[in-house]
Amino acid sequence: MSRYGSTTAKNPREAAEWSAGRVIRSNLRAVVGRAYPRVISLAREPSWLFFEIFLPFLAVSAFVFVYRALDAPEDFIGFVVLGGAMTAFWLNVVWMMAAQFYWEKDQGNLELYFTAPMHLMSILAGMAIGGLVLTSSRALAVIGIGSLVYGVTYDVQQPFLLAGVFLLTMIPLYGMGMLFASLFLLWGREAFHLAELLQEPIYFLGGINFPLRAIGPLAGVVMATLPLGVGLDAMRQLAFADSGVQGVLPVGTEVGILAAMAVVFLVAARMALGYLELLARREGRLTLRWQ
Amino acid sequence: MAVTSRTEPVRGVTLADAWRSFRTAIGLGWAIEANWSDPFLFAVYTMAKPLAAAGILVVMFQVISQGQNPEFLQFLIVGSALWNVVFGVMSGLVQSILDDRERYRMMKYIVVTPSSLFPFLLGRSLARVLLSFVAVVLTMAVGVLFLGVDLRPDLLYLLPAMVVGVLAVIALGVFMAGWCLQLRQEAGHYPDAIAGALYLISGAIFPIDILPSYLHPIAYASPTTWWLETSRRGLLGHGSPGVIGGLSDGTVMLFLVLSTAIAIPVALAAFAWFMRRARQAGLLDMVTGS
Repeated sequence: MSRYGSTTAKNPREAAEWSAGRVIRSNLRAVVGRAYPRVISLAREPSWLFFEIFLPFLAVSAFVFVYRALDAPEDFIGFVVLGGAMTAFWLNVVWMMAAQFYWEKDQGNLELYFTAPMHLMSILAGMAIGGLVLTSSRALAVIGIGSLVYGVTYDVQQPFLLAGVFLLTMIPLYGMGMLFASLFLLWGREAFHLAELLQEPIYFLGGINFPLRAIGPLAGVVMATLPLGVGLDAMRQLAFADSGVQGVLPVGTEVGILAAMAVVFLVAARMALGYLELLARREGRLTLRWQ
Repeated sequence: MAVTSRTEPVRGVTLADAWRSFRTAIGLGWAIEANWSDPFLFAVYTMAKPLAAAGILVVMFQVISQGQNPEFLQFLIVGSALWNVVFGVMSGLVQSILDDRERYRMMKYIVVTPSSLFPFLLGRSLARVLLSFVAVVLTMAVGVLFLGVDLRPDLLYLLPAMVVGVLAVIALGVFMAGWCLQLRQEAGHYPDAIAGALYLISGAIFPIDILPSYLHPIAYASPTTWWLETSRRGLLGHGSPGVIGGLSDGTVMLFLVLSTAIAIPVALAAFAWFMRRARQAGLLDMVTGS
């Protein structure tokens, strides 16, 4: 009788009975393997580059012209450009993280993920790292082109803190994407609609085009739930230090909130994945196409 | 054998056939749009997007003007509300044709039936178009109830403006649907790109005068510019700020009719050509992953 015939392993990782070193190597290979198509698409899919720079730039331009029509101070143009760049990350999180398991299911890949002996968090980490690299190029392009075309000037007095806040923002942001990847699959059949629902309302709540304080008490809700809004508020305070823009909270407090969010979202994502895996194995429906 | 020995020709598409296709496609389109969720979530989905989009503009306005210049707020609300129709029509027509080709893979079967694709396409996308009108009504209602938008509708001016304008927008959508059939990559992104570009040049949320002067001719050539302007006049009783607002009502309506009269035949001819080319080049069952 084969070993697999008598074992009661709960998942392929247990059934494989690999050494700790091999487990680590396999998971790292899964991370690199899932990040690879996103990174390499930078060179192989130039049409994506055009659309993902051009479309955010159109949106940024529209809001810039609204501020010009209102005779707003020039700093607001900078707020819009920075917000437009951060939009690229949010879109990446929604469409290429949160909705990704849904697309993978449609393509028949999800059941392969569940049968392979690596942790699904490795797949999601690969998606996140690849997406971060891919989207950073687009965000930089939006900032570069937007700043040149609309003459934005920045006053960055703490560049390392700004870079740190940006990187720290990405952790809970992509952690949220990992959590949503499981939830989208559990919630419903149409990831497309859910992803659409998370665009304009989040742009509004996240203060993409205006200082977050402007939405009043709602900003408190954002501070507790939405890393995009918290990170953007902190980055605006740091990138436009001379504008006199007042953040909802001091930068130090917002850094603390982002760090706490990073832990919460990553732990929640892991728990949701565990639940998803349990359901997928027990009911056998979640991974099937067209369900 | 059965085919070669047939003596009766296959009859052409009658008006009754087209109506049946159209009606069936409406039901199909509605089911695809609406049956993915329970009614509550669907209502949230329908309301949240347009209201949030308008909310962004309202907050931007309040931050800068502190409630001064209410005419500009009205301009923003009406433009933002009406733009839902442009986006709904463009994305409805294009996504319908791409979904049927690539996701459900039914396009080739529809094309080989004795029916015509055109009424099917219009019916299939109607659900999205109707939902976009719901978004218009919702946004306007919020504007009137909570933001002090002062509607003074002139129905004699508004109704023809809406009919002609929506026909123009449908023509643009039909053109885009045919065009997207030809594309091998990223077809799904084109309606967003075109709608985004039109949003920028049509004076939807800021006066055209703010645009760089080299974009003015494109803005004035687009029927969406004139549709928004006539609709604003029909709804609010006054035009937009800037040069276009100084034109008479008759002139603005004339430009809308003229630009639409050009857009419709061009779009229909282009769609027929795109379909012919798609048949010849085998594009009707192509899968691009868009």
